[in-house]
Amino acid sequence: MQVKSKLLFLSSIAVIFVINLFSGSIDPYFYTVIIYIGINIILATSLNLINGYTGQFSLGHAGFMAIGGYLSIALSTYFAPFFQSTFGTGAFGNAITFIIVLLAGGTAAALVGLLVGVPSLRLKGDYLAITTLGFAEIIRVVIQNMDVIGASQGFRGVYIYANGVKSPQMVQDLVDMPTVFYAVPQFTNFFWTFLFVAIIIYYVSNLINSTYGRGFLSVKDDEIAAESMGINTTKFKVSAFVTGAFFAGIAGVLYGHFNLYLNPEDFNFLKSVEIVVMVILGGMGSMIGVIIAAVLLTILPEFLRSVSEYRMIIYALLLIIMMLTRPQGLFGFKVKLKKKK
Amino acid sequence: MRFGGLTCVDKVSTTVEDNELVGMIGPNGAGKTTVFNMITGVYDPSDGDILFNNESIVPYKPFEVSEKGISRTFQNIRLFKSLSVKDNVRVSFIKNIKSKYFSSVLQLPKFYKEEKEIDKKIDELLEMFDLLHEKDEYAVSLPYGDQRKLEIVRALATSPRLLLLDEPAAGMNPTEKVDLMNLIKKIKDLFHISILLIEHDMKVVMGVCERIFVLEYGKKIAEGKPEEIRNDEKVILAYLGDTHHA
Ligand SMILES: Nc1ncnc2c1ncn2[C@@H]1O[C@H](COP(=O)(O)OP(=O)(O)OP(=O)(O)O)[C@@H](O)[C@H]1O
Ligand SMILES: [Mg+2]
Repeated sequence: MQVKSKLLFLSSIAVIFVINLFSGSIDPYFYTVIIYIGINIILATSLNLINGYTGQFSLGHAGFMAIGGYLSIALSTYFAPFFQSTFGTGAFGNAITFIIVLLAGGTAAALVGLLVGVPSLRLKGDYLAITTLGFAEIIRVVIQNMDVIGASQGFRGVYIYANGVKSPQMVQDLVDMPTVFYAVPQFTNFFWTFLFVAIIIYYVSNLINSTYGRGFLSVKDDEIAAESMGINTTKFKVSAFVTGAFFAGIAGVLYGHFNLYLNPEDFNFLKSVEIVVMVILGGMGSMIGVIIAAVLLTILPEFLRSVSEYRMIIYALLLIIMMLTRPQGLFGFKVKLKKKK
Repeated sequence: MRFGGLTCVDKVSTTVEDNELVGMIGPNGAGKTTVFNMITGVYDPSDGDILFNNESIVPYKPFEVSEKGISRTFQNIRLFKSLSVKDNVRVSFIKNIKSKYFSSVLQLPKFYKEEKEIDKKIDELLEMFDLLHEKDEYAVSLPYGDQRKLEIVRALATSPRLLLLDEPAAGMNPTEKVDLMNLIKKIKDLFHISILLIEHDMKVVMGVCERIFVLEYGKKIAEGKPEEIRNDEKVILAYLGDTHHA
């Protein structure tokens, strides 16, 4: 059984690789939706580890996505000359560059996750929702004011002048200076996106189904009982949080290198809410349910383009109806109490 | 122990020896559960000290107390509701396993080996308490008495040196109670552990405990062998009083 899951993982990567070879013939609009589905699955599954399996309430996932996204596109543009001269611009060189910026984006998000998570998760009670919400807003405001990454204008690349000056906008004083514009490279494709979809599904299900990983669920169910059985609940909460932040960072990297343009508004409060809705709708702690919810909530707005300004109202209504009728989520399950004796 | 201005457990001192089965009795609200909560670090005693193997365990958090070798059950059952019977027990093995986060994610060879060993140990423990046939059910779907037994199995799975049982036989009928007490006595010798047991039913405690102490309004009013306690005037009074009010 255990060998099977490894085999399934490896063969799904092979399938993703093969599908990617034919991705050129997919309609571009359709292709974009598919990539967004993949990115949202990564976001929702990573948040599900925190909110679903470990029972915490993080409300700032877009903040981690922003860190991964912005850091990585800054790296792959500002350091483009370095990457290009070191690894070349072939498929292989690009892959190495992309792996580096992926890991950098994920790691940065994870480190920030550690800084935010340790103080707020050590306290009893729901401090996490408030801290993460505030944190994500701070990240967004900071980016809005950082000129090196385009501030509120957004960021799509960098002008590197012959004298070494680098700027996301043309510099007026240097109109005569030769310059090269390094746009955000389009690294993200079907393969990379769904490689990480496969990785996060394999990663989280291995973790959750192991003896060690059952600790996350014990924390959700009853902290006092878990502690009394030797579970360091703070450590489990922090490690779920940091893991979730890492993958949110990865999702940000994928998003940035697909869109080729990032704007601070991409990572506003509504984006965080959207991810939370996916987790709740999917049924907290149900892997497959959350994946289906991520797919549905990516496609749904495409059908509702004409009423897109009401999207949040629709989400809110959806949530209220859910809470009233199916509190365990659309696809979640509830333990049925069998009355014996 | 004081909650606000209220002193709930006052100057209770006692000892539990190695491999000894000690009973703690007392009327409702006497402070018995509070004593357990202080030992396990759920509450910090307002003053006084608790020694385990000659080391003060007062500063430790509950999970550290568990690491030191003290485990407990809960009077108001606290099983993990989203986990199966066997996974409830599995959680107790986490503090001692070698395959932690990354070897679980990567499923290294040592991971499989250890998981198999744990599965086997879980089955053995469940078998001992006649719960094996229910191992895949959700813990909270078990009959009440089985949930109490599962609480004991889960506590035992942490490999404690001292086991604290808070009314493990509550809600059981007299024969089930006697069976359970005999089982508790058996595991005490089998695992060579010390047990401190809270029980309301005097007769039940008298039958198995080597020593008993009695708590009333947070104070120890008697301590001794079962036969001494049986004839202690203060104890008789406390218990008669209790039944009159109840
Ligand atoms: N967290 C708390 N805050 C305030 N008072 C508390 C707290 N925990 C317990 N008490 C009080 O302390 C007293 C002792 O409670 P405890 O639960 O230890 O009694 P007990 O001997 O276990 O009783 P029972 O036989 O009913 O289980 C009770 O009056 C209870 O109301
Ligand atoms: Mg009690």
